[in-house]
Amino acid sequence: MTRIENHPILGKLGRKKTVTFTFDNQIIRGVENEPIAAALLANSIRTLRNHEETAKPRGIYCNIGHCFECRVTVNGIQGKRACLTPIKEGMIVQSGKRFATPVRDWSGNHV
Amino acid sequence: MDEKEIIVCRCEEVTLSELELTAATYNCSARELKLRTRAGMGFCGGRTCRTMIEAFGIDKREKNRNQVTLKYQAPVRPVPFGKLGGKTP
Amino acid sequence: MYKAVSGSPLLLEIGVETMYDIIVIGAGPAGLAAASTAAREGLHVLVIDEYMKPGGRLLGQLYQESNGNWWNGLEESVKLNEQAVNEGVKIILQTVVYDIERQDSSWIIYTENIVYTSKQLLLATGAAESPVPLPGWTLPGVMSVGAAQVMTNVHRVKPGDKGMIIGVNVLSAAIAMELQLAGIDVVAMALPPLNQLTHQHSRPKEVMEALLHASHLAPSKFLRIGSKFMTNPFMRQLGIRLYPKSGISMWGIPIQLRKAVTEIYGTNQVEGVIIRTIDINGSPVSGTEESIACDFVCIAGGLYPLAELAGVADCPFYYVDELGGYVPIHNEKMETPIEGLYVAGNITGIEGAKIAISQGVVAGYSMAIASGKQGLVENLQDSIKKVHETRKQAAIRFHPKVDIGRNIIHKQWEARQVPSTNDATII
Ligand SMILES: Cc1cc2nc3c(=O)[nH]c(=O)nc-3n(C[C@H](O)[C@H](O)[C@H](O)COP(=O)(O)OP(=O)(O)OC[C@H]3O[C@@H](n4cnc5c(N)ncnc54)[C@H](O)[C@@H]3O)c2cc1C
Ligand code: FES
Ligand code: FES
Repeated sequence: MTRIENHPILGKLGRKKTVTFTFDNQIIRGVENEPIAAALLANSIRTLRNHEETAKPRGIYCNIGHCFECRVTVNGIQGKRACLTPIKEGMIVQSGKRFATPVRDWSGNHV
Repeated sequence: MDEKEIIVCRCEEVTLSELELTAATYNCSARELKLRTRAGMGFCGGRTCRTMIEAFGIDKREKNRNQVTLKYQAPVRPVPFGKLGGKTP
Repeated sequence: MYKAVSGSPLLLEIGVETMYDIIVIGAGPAGLAAASTAAREGLHVLVIDEYMKPGGRLLGQLYQESNGNWWNGLEESVKLNEQAVNEGVKIILQTVVYDIERQDSSWIIYTENIVYTSKQLLLATGAAESPVPLPGWTLPGVMSVGAAQVMTNVHRVKPGDKGMIIGVNVLSAAIAMELQLAGIDVVAMALPPLNQLTHQHSRPKEVMEALLHASHLAPSKFLRIGSKFMTNPFMRQLGIRLYPKSGISMWGIPIQLRKAVTEIYGTNQVEGVIIRTIDINGSPVSGTEESIACDFVCIAGGLYPLAELAGVADCPFYYVDELGGYVPIHNEKMETPIEGLYVAGNITGIEGAKIAISQGVVAGYSMAIASGKQGLVENLQDSIKKVHETRKQAAIRFHPKVDIGRNIIHKQWEARQVPSTNDATII
């Protein structure tokens, strides 16, 4: 997907620092401090995880931290929301597959 | 699952027909519906689907305007590895 | 469920920050305005937000006001943030508040690593989007309409090349225009399929009625003419019947009130949608299905107040349709029935950002007065008046009868002030 370089009201995208990170071992370039999900989308990557049980592909849904659909592993820490985690040089991002703490355990407290 | 199925709760992949069937079988409140189907009990804590689950209760009984249909509970976001300020789960 | 804070061994590992006079949860327009107001009166204020930038949902907003000026949410957010910082407010971002607790006349605010404490607490957590579900809506490429707004205006990445918007309402109409402004092709806006959960979003008549109140937004002949002539129910009915099957267009985007998207398809991500003609009650007409290729889909089912922390604090609620759902009971001073707990912004009902700001100012004065600051009663009264004025001039009305909604909730507050023995519904 492309970046919106020129916007009639918001103006030009200023030059920003580019950083490199990996997503499932693939090298990705993005703009420093933009959310992981935005950087991936700018590189045409929409699928951020597979559903824990059905393995169906999922991407961002709300983009503001509410839905937790965008969960990825960042530098070894699971359950990070790709829509609000800023990218840094050398970050290691992995798509969400299975969660160490099973979802059902967590939601068991949520009745 | 039929591809044409409508998922209502994305986290737990609970479908509309499953909810309709459960609601009809047990003639239950939204809260009971949640417990029976797990709809609203997923990772997002029901933020995405709660208005839809609540809607099931609306036609069935006089809406209790004074009481949130699906109770809110802490922690309001999943806590990484049991960390939570001074609280230990 | 948890150990008490005091004496917990975990407290040694985590930090407990010194007591603040006021903690604000949410760095959106309401929270930032409240924080600035209170800090200006000399109070020690902390704002906590889980997002990466201050501004909340104001960040993505971009629309032209009736005077021709653009309301640029990014710029407004920077201003609100600078103002708060200049007043001495401490703002911490990327920090989730998981839980809050009242203990010995102060508030304990739990974040991942640090427990904060304050005398007064303002919840300014804003709103969340409600969805309209349909087959295929979990595919990557399907997102809430607000998600597309943020991707486009805040992150400046196109949500896709060609998108379909499902759900026609004030917010989706405004965002459709914003997408187009950014050079993104919006193929069409159409209704969701009719089912138990979508009816008010799926019946052309109901959608039309709701839209008429937003007509000032639409520089489209149809909607403007519509709003004048269609107040008569008969005309409205006629309008829907005469409504061209090909739809009308707003800013060049076809709005299909007589078509519903019944399915989103794609193998690993969105490839297109199936759309069908519907009758005026929202039922699909057989044999009318066609497929439209697109690479992203926006779901627009409206907004509801995000009040989970108020629920956790045992604040009483009341359901008000006009305000978007369950709202913590509060008065015009933004006080809740829970001592030391305040609310402002969309948590109190769905309205635009300018109203959120004005409510934030009210909460700021209320909390300053509660903190013992003298001589602010007049400021408080003026700030309450300002909320009413701002509401009258609002460019976007999420619910046409929001004033009625406000009265309902304030009546609930008043009812609680007079202890009544015969009203068992009051907890
Ligand atoms: C997706 C979306 C799009 C919108 N678009 C428009 C629009 O185009 N035009 C318009 O007029 N109105 C729009 N609105 C309405 C919008 O809510 C108001 O305009 C205004 O932004 C409300 O301000 P607020 O300060 O109440 O809340 P918000 O601006 O929503 O700010 C709330 C803040 O609280 C934070 N927060 C919430 N819970 C927690 C927690 N537990 N821990 C830490 N931080 C937390 C959030 O991260 C957020 O930054 C939109 C709302 C949404 C949800
Ligand atoms: S997309 Fe919803 S939490 Fe990230
Ligand atoms: S969508 Fe139902 S719990 Fe998350």
